[in-house]
Amino acid sequence: MKLHRKILVHYLSCPSPVDKEGYLFKKKERTGAFHRRWFVLKGNLLFYQERPADRHIGGVIVLEGCAVRTEDSDRDFSLVFEGLRTYRDEWVKCLLTASHCYLSLLLRDLGLQYEGEPEGDAVKLGSAKHLQSCGASAQLRRTSDLVLTPPASSDPRTLTHTPALPQATPPGTGAVRPLPWKSPKLWARRNAHVTPINGPAPLPRVWPAVHFNPLQKFEKLHEYYGREVERERAESRREEQKGGESREKRGGESREKERGAGRREDQRGDKSI
Amino acid sequence: MRFNEKELISLSRQPSEKAAELGMRGPKKGDVLKKRLVKLVVNFLFYFRTDEEEPIGALLLEQCRVEREDSLTFSIIFLDEAERKYQFECDSEEQCGEWIDSIIKASYEFMRKNLIFYRTEIHKLTGKDPLEQYGISDETRFQVSNGLQLKARETSSL
Repeated sequence: MKLHRKILVHYLSCPSPVDKEGYLFKKKERTGAFHRRWFVLKGNLLFYQERPADRHIGGVIVLEGCAVRTEDSDRDFSLVFEGLRTYRDEWVKCLLTASHCYLSLLLRDLGLQYEGEPEGDAVKLGSAKHLQSCGASAQLRRTSDLVLTPPASSDPRTLTHTPALPQATPPGTGAVRPLPWKSPKLWARRNAHVTPINGPAPLPRVWPAVHFNPLQKFEKLHEYYGREVERERAESRREEQKGGESREKRGGESREKERGAGRREDQRGDKSI
Repeated sequence: MRFNEKELISLSRQPSEKAAELGMRGPKKGDVLKKRLVKLVVNFLFYFRTDEEEPIGALLLEQCRVEREDSLTFSIIFLDEAERKYQFECDSEEQCGEWIDSIIKASYEFMRKNLIFYRTEIHKLTGKDPLEQYGISDETRFQVSNGLQLKARETSSL
């Protein structure tokens, strides 16, 4: 398939806002070696090149239907990327919300609010309270599989499938209820590259999808994220109480040094630059 | 320049509200009108040979101009170059108008601007930032100052 590269390169170089940029170590799939690349996130496209000033663009990754997964190591995320933890967290959050689909839902939501839709307001009131308890900053620690997939198709099965989402946790309880659904962490790992392109697209149930029509309720998408984030925070709170204080200090320091610099600092010393 | 082709092809097979057989003419001088299945998915315009599973190509709908050529035809111009003008012929005036509208609205940058507009306006009307409830108020991509000229510039905490 032909991708009109000049159009993409033009988009990259035009004055439209850059959503995030910085150095990351990208793993070459075939050789397994890590190469440092300069990444630029614009819209739903992640460009990479050897250096910021380079004219030649190494490649681009379209972020629709991408799974952003954080590995067991506290710096790896997505399929092949690597970065320090706090740096990683910022990237993950940015990448998770980069898709056109996400923007489309958010836009629809605000559009409704603006128009003063009574139904929209009522729903928002309920979810807003809940989301407040989830916190504004999604501090993703340790492993978390937050998967963003394209909207479920109009396949009738999707519509009749009972959403597996639990009821919203009442705000302020702080308790993490046992959820009657399977955390994304427990799903079979899906590699976006294994998409069967020769066959029909997988059934919506098979995708690690969020089981609702995202075109309808943007709040649900956020509820979904919010719940995962809440669980992660609860877990890491417990972990930290066990004495992760020194880790916290180191994390704070590197956060200071990294701000805006995009440099990679190897605190652990297990990977040489 | 590499790109994640498999994902893009998979994306091209997503259900889309805007998919139709249109006449498509490429930018080069000798290019003739060919029947293509044109499909709009997110901010990409894919075009297929009818009944083929894999698209021939994908056009990113950013930094482009969409113009009406005549009652049935619209064109998309990239990079402000005539050499990158793609023309599409529809079956009806109505269809033509709908496609133009959809393509313009599909652009990420267009949507971003709209979002920032709504955010600002809602903030003005209600005194609250509507993005706060989603915890994304600080996201770079939604910032008001991001290279935009708002019509009514007021000092605001945004």
